Amino acid sequence: MKGTLAVARYTLLDLSRRRILLVFFIIGALGIAIIGTGLKVFSSTFSSGTSFGPPGTVSDPAKVNRFLELMFVTDLVGALGLFALLIAFGIGMTAIYHDLESGAAVAIFSKPVARLAFTVGKVAAALAAMIVIVGLLSIEAILFGLLFGGGLEHTLAVEAVAQVANALTLMLIVLALSTWMNNIVAAIVAFIYNAVGGVVVALHSQLASGVLGDNSFLKGLINVVYWLVPHQLTSDAPRELVKAELELFSTSGQTTADLTQALAAVPGPSGATDIIWWAVVVAVMATLVYVAVRRRQV
Amino acid sequence: MAPVVSVEALRKRYRRRDPWAVDGVTFALEPGQAFGLLGPNGSGKTSVVKMIAGLLRPDGGSISLFGSKPGDPAARAQLGFAPEDPDFPKFLRAREVLDYFASLLGLDEDDRKRRIPETLAFAGLDQEKRHVRQFSKGMKQRLGIAQAILGRPKLLILDEPTADLDPLGRRDVRALIESLKASGVAILLNSHLLSEVELVCDTVAILAKGHVLKEGTMAEVVPEGRNLEDVFVELVQASSPPKQDNLPSFITDKEDQ
Repeated sequence: MKGTLAVARYTLLDLSRRRILLVFFIIGALGIAIIGTGLKVFSSTFSSGTSFGPPGTVSDPAKVNRFLELMFVTDLVGALGLFALLIAFGIGMTAIYHDLESGAAVAIFSKPVARLAFTVGKVAAALAAMIVIVGLLSIEAILFGLLFGGGLEHTLAVEAVAQVANALTLMLIVLALSTWMNNIVAAIVAFIYNAVGGVVVALHSQLASGVLGDNSFLKGLINVVYWLVPHQLTSDAPRELVKAELELFSTSGQTTADLTQALAAVPGPSGATDIIWWAVVVAVMATLVYVAVRRRQV
Repeated sequence: MAPVVSVEALRKRYRRRDPWAVDGVTFALEPGQAFGLLGPNGSGKTSVVKMIAGLLRPDGGSISLFGSKPGDPAARAQLGFAPEDPDFPKFLRAREVLDYFASLLGLDEDDRKRRIPETLAFAGLDQEKRHVRQFSKGMKQRLGIAQAILGRPKLLILDEPTADLDPLGRRDVRALIESLKASGVAILLNSHLLSEVELVCDTVAILAKGHVLKEGTMAEVVPEGRNLEDVFVELVQASSPPKQDNLPSFITDKEDQ
């Protein structure tokens, strides 16, 4: 336990001083600040007499403010996902690889520390670093959201958790691969795997909604491949945002049934099966990291 | 006296099609003994010490480190290993590196407070505030020796410990070895600096191409009236085909007038 804590503590300290992560964090923080401030200035300056949505539907300043908040949060959901992935690559490519390649592992592994303790410490530090960075960006985003009146704090917080969970899977893949191969190659392989996984999940979603027709071979194939790739976890944020926008632009003729039908096309929050599958994937990837570290001769 | 480390018929190769990097190496080391492992580049010295430290898996033979396998953490707690060309997490400072390793060694707070500043002072790094990535090779080598002695080991393995050190640093390492030997610590020294080995080691083994060519006490290996370098060169040359004069022709050619 002491060995794990020591590895985690000093890996975190080492990571916190790496410029690449600091640069990602600064770009993220500045990006959120610029989008938030820009939209607020825009809403204050141009909201009166300006209309949004279908011609003439939103000209009320309160509604304009709400619309801009929705725009802001929608942008943030995408930005948080992007930064979580960048940070996952940044940490995954360095946390274990640099120790192994620089020769630091020679001195570390000659000490009485088990490879399991080393691996657990590294993964814990990498996860903690990602949570801190994405968490700080999320807090900043929530604070900027308050400029527009707030109300979507919960949505943003849950989305941040989903993004960290997705980035963790990717980070573990990069960590495992980078103990076998060059870290840039590892990142490229993980990127391709992640992209293929995204396409497969999207195809599966299309299949479920009946868009891909009724070909039983295609159905079987997609179903098999679907359970070989990590599933991206989704929060209720996308659906909540679309719902809020639909409510904002709804006209008196639209019914609840219309709203429900429109929302059905938006991916809903991940269910228990997806979360269990995510946990299985994380456990498998973490085991792969351990096996790779254990087998590694330095 | 039970040996601190004993190695028997040790073998290692890195790929199936490669020749053996270490082939049938056998020796034992007792407390208070300084053992010199000598050999030309690529003779398998570093592979041997890395297998003893549990960093490489042997393909044959056996190693007993304090009566256990090298992978046993309890055995490694009594081992200090200063690698050749050492490196450390790049964004840590010397004090942080030693604190990190002190944690891995399980040293308590009192021991840390006492040992870390004293070890840093010994390594000449007590005033150093820069990150490891800004260290020179010599500074990294000093830190490598510092982390190796931090746990007060009963076996200290030094792999080319003075390769990047200045004369003062070399003198410090020699004094360290003498002092540790006197206190009963076993020393396993890999070095190309034969004069240094002659000064501090009681026994030596000369390796070439993974085999031990000669092993014994200094008096057994180096006959009266000769020195270690002569014996080393003679043995190594005898173990390989005679070498032609390989100086590049553009060096030996006379310049056109």
